[in-house]
Order: sequence, then structure tokens, then C-alpha cells
Amino acid sequence: MAVKGRWRLAVALGVVATLGVSGCGLNEDNNSSSGNSSSETVLRIGTTTDVSNFNPLQSLSKTDSWILNAMYPHLLRIDENAQKAPELAKEYRYEDDGKTAVFVLRDDFKWSDGKPVVADDVKFSAEKIMEYKLGNVAAKLTWVESVEAPDATTVKFKLSQPYAPFAEGVGFWMAVVPKHIFEPAGDLSKFANDSNWVGAGPFVLDSVTKGQRYVMKRNEHYPLAPGGKAAVSQVEYRVYPDVNTMMLALRNGDIDLMGTPVPISAAKTFEGDDKIKLEKVGALGFAHLTYNMKNKYLADQQVRQALSMAVDTKAIISAVLQGDGQQMAGPISPIFSEYDNTELQPYPFDPEGAKAKLSAAGYKDGNNDGFFDELSFGVACDQSNANITRVVQLFRESAAKAGIKLENECVERNTFLTRTKNGEYDIDASQWGVFDNPMDQLRSTYLSSNPGGINYNLLESAEMDALINDAAGTTDPEEFKTKIKNIDKVVHEQAYLTPLYVENFQFAYNASKFTGFVASPSDLLGMVTAYSLAQVTPVK
Amino acid sequence: MSAPVLTEPAPPSAPSASKRSSWYGYLRQPTVALSVLVLLVMVLMAVFAPLIADEPSGAGPDVLQSPSGAHWFGTDDLGQDVFAQVVWGTRTSLVIGLAASLIALALGTTIGLAAAYFRPIDAVATVITDVMLALPTLPLMIMLAAVVSPSVVTLTLIIGFFAWPEVARLIRSQGLVISAMPYIDGARVLGATGWRIVTREILPAVVSLMIVSVLLTASRAVISEAGLSFLGLGDPDAWSWGRILLNAQRSGTIAIAWWQTLFPSLAILLLVLAATLAGMRFNDSRDPRRNGG
Repeated sequence: MAVKGRWRLAVALGVVATLGVSGCGLNEDNNSSSGNSSSETVLRIGTTTDVSNFNPLQSLSKTDSWILNAMYPHLLRIDENAQKAPELAKEYRYEDDGKTAVFVLRDDFKWSDGKPVVADDVKFSAEKIMEYKLGNVAAKLTWVESVEAPDATTVKFKLSQPYAPFAEGVGFWMAVVPKHIFEPAGDLSKFANDSNWVGAGPFVLDSVTKGQRYVMKRNEHYPLAPGGKAAVSQVEYRVYPDVNTMMLALRNGDIDLMGTPVPISAAKTFEGDDKIKLEKVGALGFAHLTYNMKNKYLADQQVRQALSMAVDTKAIISAVLQGDGQQMAGPISPIFSEYDNTELQPYPFDPEGAKAKLSAAGYKDGNNDGFFDELSFGVACDQSNANITRVVQLFRESAAKAGIKLENECVERNTFLTRTKNGEYDIDASQWGVFDNPMDQLRSTYLSSNPGGINYNLLESAEMDALINDAAGTTDPEEFKTKIKNIDKVVHEQAYLTPLYVENFQFAYNASKFTGFVASPSDLLGMVTAYSLAQVTPVK
Repeated sequence: MSAPVLTEPAPPSAPSASKRSSWYGYLRQPTVALSVLVLLVMVLMAVFAPLIADEPSGAGPDVLQSPSGAHWFGTDDLGQDVFAQVVWGTRTSLVIGLAASLIALALGTTIGLAAAYFRPIDAVATVITDVMLALPTLPLMIMLAAVVSPSVVTLTLIIGFFAWPEVARLIRSQGLVISAMPYIDGARVLGATGWRIVTREILPAVVSLMIVSVLLTASRAVISEAGLSFLGLGDPDAWSWGRILLNAQRSGTIAIAWWQTLFPSLAILLLVLAATLAGMRFNDSRDPRRNGG
């Protein structure tokens, strides 16, 4: 007994000693690592491609904007409820019967080299955009006659005519760049801005390894972050061209957040993974089929209406989006509820009805192959967009039931973009990314002058031009809404486009390491806006 | 192309018996028997695809189901049956593989034989063949496929056009050996024209090599087709194995739906392996050094 007892004691002591030692070891490790993490936390975000243009005034790429928007402040941002919220500007107002837009800036934004962000920077950015016609903002500054900066925190845009959504559009889209860095560069349409970055957002690019990573260091002065600067000390974008790989990287802990949304079909990947959380946001654009009016047959309203009746949008939403999307009737997304004409009903899915309509309009199936002889169209789409490719596949099958022969012309992305630019398509199946207000949307999609470059209808209609220009100059809010709803109705009756759906996006992040993201709608903004990244805190 | 072989005034009885026995000997090898069986099954699948499975279309409620009795190869993210997709994909893959290899064969044999017999052509043809072989084929195919609108026909033409140099080189080397043989000199002495010598005397001697090249080129063409389709440069309206893989990759289901990538990949592997083995063994069985004759 005694011997046994002694043995037991020895073993017990041994165990305790081992535990104690290892316990200390663990504690020490914990201490050191948490000590590190409080001063040096790196948030790693997955992106799909390299930055193509570091000049924020010029770049039009979604993935570029994720990185650039964290560096260069905008006057306004879009918050989680799709409303404009103050960012660099504290407030804005119209003066002079809507002919002057005035932004009042915050006085506590600072460039990362220590200089304050002042009204002159805003004036400089706007003037250079107008001078060199940079990016998509140039079209939004069309009415600007002059920009004034009477003091360090006031910017006045003098307009040639009142334009209701001017301040919202420019405020949200225009990046503000440091005048003292960009002015010496001269011609800004040729300025690459690819080194020694100076920004006033929560993070500023520090180093770039092409094809691999973009390292951004914290800006020590960012007033919109809770502590005057972001809680995360470094943001690192890592390039994963393939979404499958990116999802695995998130699961393995190689990244903490996916910049791109998780495809709906792949959401199951993260089922049963406690660490990974999915955050759902709405869209600011929508998927659509747009008909090229330069095509002899598509110029016929009856054909466009018949095509609209040959798309089973409900089935598309339930199959392609797994039910996670909203149907639309007119061209205005339901997210802009004040402007969405709710009296409109979507065209019903009725292939037989479509067939009857076409027969009544005089189209014939002379060779009895089940298709109307003249009605054969190509549907162009971007091969890399999984959802749209699926839509085209289903659209082709359902249109065949209505006697319309469609050819799937989903091609590689760059080819698609070139074709879209040159108008080489019959039907364009694509997705509008972000419309921040309905007026800008209608102007850029239907004006003959095509100011936004996205009049995919190639529509040249004096009637639509008149309606749109009339609405644009209307300052009374109620009258403005009525006019927009009227345009909504005309577009619907003409069936210039068939709106398909407004989808939801899901973003996946590692909730065991970071929290506090403020997600905004759309995959352009999502979880990676400057504001959102500034709010993120590491989980203790 | 087979006409010259039939009209060849060869001694009839003995060779045909030996031919039959060599075919028998060829097919008796287990690897060959298996390969030929696999190829036969694939061809039958392609021909009778509509009887085996409905053409995959529409969308169903059974999304991303793993393989089961109802869906042997599982379903994809639209609820379509992967088995049906693989069966219908066999059609495109085989058609493109065969047609492309026939194009390559026609081009390659013509150029190879011409080079082998007509000396002045040889210099030019060899340089062109070498240049073609040195070209980075895949990037070029990608560029071409991106420029023209993708369809089964264009894909076949592109793949066929880039596959001929190997055939040409093979046929030329064999043709050089043959054209130096005494019976060719004999034909020339008898007054045969160059055309006649090439088509009636040299061509029959390289037929077995051509059969081998068809099989090998076809298997490479199948891989090229799958590769291009996977890169999104295939015919979007025709099911092909590469397109099934592309769908899985694009919808991000590779990690969760292994069946969507495994089965089409297996089909590619099987077809290529069977064609290559059948081709190599056929080559071996025709090799006099191996057969002692």
C-alpha cells in the first residue's frame, strides 16, 4: 500500500508539474500573442484580381475601388440602409433655387503626410475630372460651371441648371485626392499614382506585390473610426482569381474576409463552420435583358414585349438565386421605393401568349421548324458571371417555347466588354452594378447622347429625351417623383428592357477573429468600404 | 482515303490471313481489349445519348445532390443531372476530337507526304512544321477562340489546325524511309507520275501510322476541347465535359460538390487513356522489329 501510495503521489506530482509548466507556457504564449495583436492586427481580405489603375479619379474597376476607396475619401457614403450618409462632408444644401450645391466639410480629416484635407482638394479633384473627362464622374459634373472654395471647409458647385440628384451623385462617386501630391503630376489622365501613396482614408497603400498582395497601413488620423483611427493596424488584400480557392483560404484561416460575395450555390461551403459568418446585403443594381434598338426586329415593341413574356423570372429567381432575390416590373429597383412605380405589373411568363402576340403582329413560321422565321437573336453575356450565364441558358430554353430562336453568346469577359462597347449584340444580358439614384440611372441608360456610356439599348428617342430632361430640371420633390414614375411606365410599356431580379449578396468573414463590419448594399461596397473597415475590431 | 488501300494490287490471300491474325493478336492483349471496349462504350454513349438520358435543360428542385440511385452522378447547382451532362458531353467531346483529328490528319498527311517525296517542298514544309511546333499553342488557341464566336465548328477548326504539325512530322519521317526503298525506284522507272507514287505506293505504307495518329491526335484534341471549354471558350449551347467543369468552378461548388468535377474528369481520363493505349499498342503490333517479321 505504502509503495503504491508513494507511486500515486509521484505520478500525481508529475502530472501537476507538467500541467503547471505547460500552463505557464501556454499563458506566456497567450500573453505575447495578444500583446502583439493589440498593436499589430492584420485584416486579410480576398480580392479577385490585381489593381489595374491606382488613379482614383480614373479607375472604373470594382476591385480597384475596394482598395482606392479606403485611401481617398468621398464627400458622402452609402450606409447600410442604402441612404446617403456624411463622410468627408458634414452636410450639403442647395442655394440659388437649386443652381448652387454647397458642401460643408469636416475639419478633422488629415492626409497621411499630416496635411489637413481642405476644400481646395475637393475643388482640385472636381476641376481635374472636368478638365480631363476622368472616370464616370465626369458625366455627373456636366452642369458645373464653376467650383469655388471660399474657405477651408466650404465647397460650392455653380450649376448651369438645377439638377436634383447632383449633390448625391457627385458626393458619393467623386474621390477626393490630395492637391499637393496630384498637382505636380501634371496631366492626370496619364498619372499612374503607383507609388508613395498619400491618402486620407482609414488605410493607405504601403507596398504592392503584383499578383499576390496589397498591403495597406493604418492612417493615424481617421475621424470616422471610433478611436480616431482604425482598430486594425494593417489591411492586406490577397489576390485569389478563383472563388473556390478564396473560399478554401477563408476556411483555412489564410484570409479573414472575402471581398467578393459568396456564390449562392456555394453558401453550403460554410455550413457547420462556427467561425465563418455570412452577412447578407441588398443590391444597388439589378440583372436585366436589354434589347438593341438598332436591330430591325428588336425595334418592334411587339417583339420586345413577347420576349419579356418568354422569360420565366420567377423560375430564374427560385433556381439561379435559390429564391434569394426580388422580382422587378419597371426599370427602377424597389430599393428606391419612392420612385418605383408600383402600379406596374411584370410581364407574365406566357410563351403561348407571346407566340400569339407575334403571330398577330404578322410574324410567320414559314418553314414549320417551330420558330418564327425572322426572329433569331444572339444573347451576349459575360461568361464569368455564373448567375447571368445560367439565366441565358434558361432564357434560351423558354424563348424556344415562344417560337423565338436565341443563341447563347456568353463569351469571355473582355470580349463581352468590347462587344458591349461597340454595340455588337442583339440582346444584352448583364447586371447593372450600382445606381445611386434613379435620375442618374434613367439619364445614363436612355438618353440619346449616352452620357454614362451604358445606353445598351442604343436608344435614340426624342420622346424619352424630352421626358428625362424635363424630369431632370424639376426641383419640386413630389412633381419629380411623378415624372420619374411616368418614365418608369413608358419604359415598361415599350419593354426596352426586361428586368430580371434584384439579388442579395452574401459576404463571408471569420467572426472568430474580427467583428464590427458595417455592410453596405451591393458588391461594389459590401463589407470593404472605408467606413466599414474603420469600424472593424479584432475579437479579443 | 481508304480507296488506294483497296485497289492496291497486293498478293491477296496470305497477307489477309496474316492481317486477320494480327488484328486478333492485337485485340487479344488485355489492355487493348479494355481500351477498345471503353472507346466502343463512349461511341455508343455519344450516338445513343438521347436514349440514355434527356438533354439536360431547365432547373430542378434537387440542387447539389450527391450521387444516388435517382442521380447516378449527382446534380449541379441548377438541379440538373450530372450523368446526363456527362453523357451529352461525350457527344461534343467525341465529335470535336474526331473531326479535329481528321482535319489534322488530312493536313498532316498531305504536308508530310509531299515533304517526304518532293525535295523542294521539304525544305519549306519542314520549316513551317518546326515553326508551328514551336508556337505556344494553348495561348494562341485561347486568343483565336476569343476572337471568333465560340461554337463546335470553330473549336474543331482551331484545334484541328493546331494539331497537324505532329502528324506531318511523323508521316514525313516514315515517308522518307519508304521513298528511299527500291520499289519506289521501280515505280519511277516504270514511268509512274509523282502523284501516283505518293498516293498509290507511299500512302498505303503509312496507313497504320495514320491510324495511330488519329487515335493520339483525337485524345489530344479532346483534352484541348475540355481545356478551352473550361476556360469559357467552348460552345455555350453544347454540353461538353469541359463545360461541366467550368460550371462547377464558376458557381464555386468545387469544394462541396466533388461529383460535379470528378465524373467529367474521369470521363476525360478514360477516353484519353483508352485512345492512347489503343494507339500505342496498335503501333507496337505493326512494328516489324517486335513481331519478328
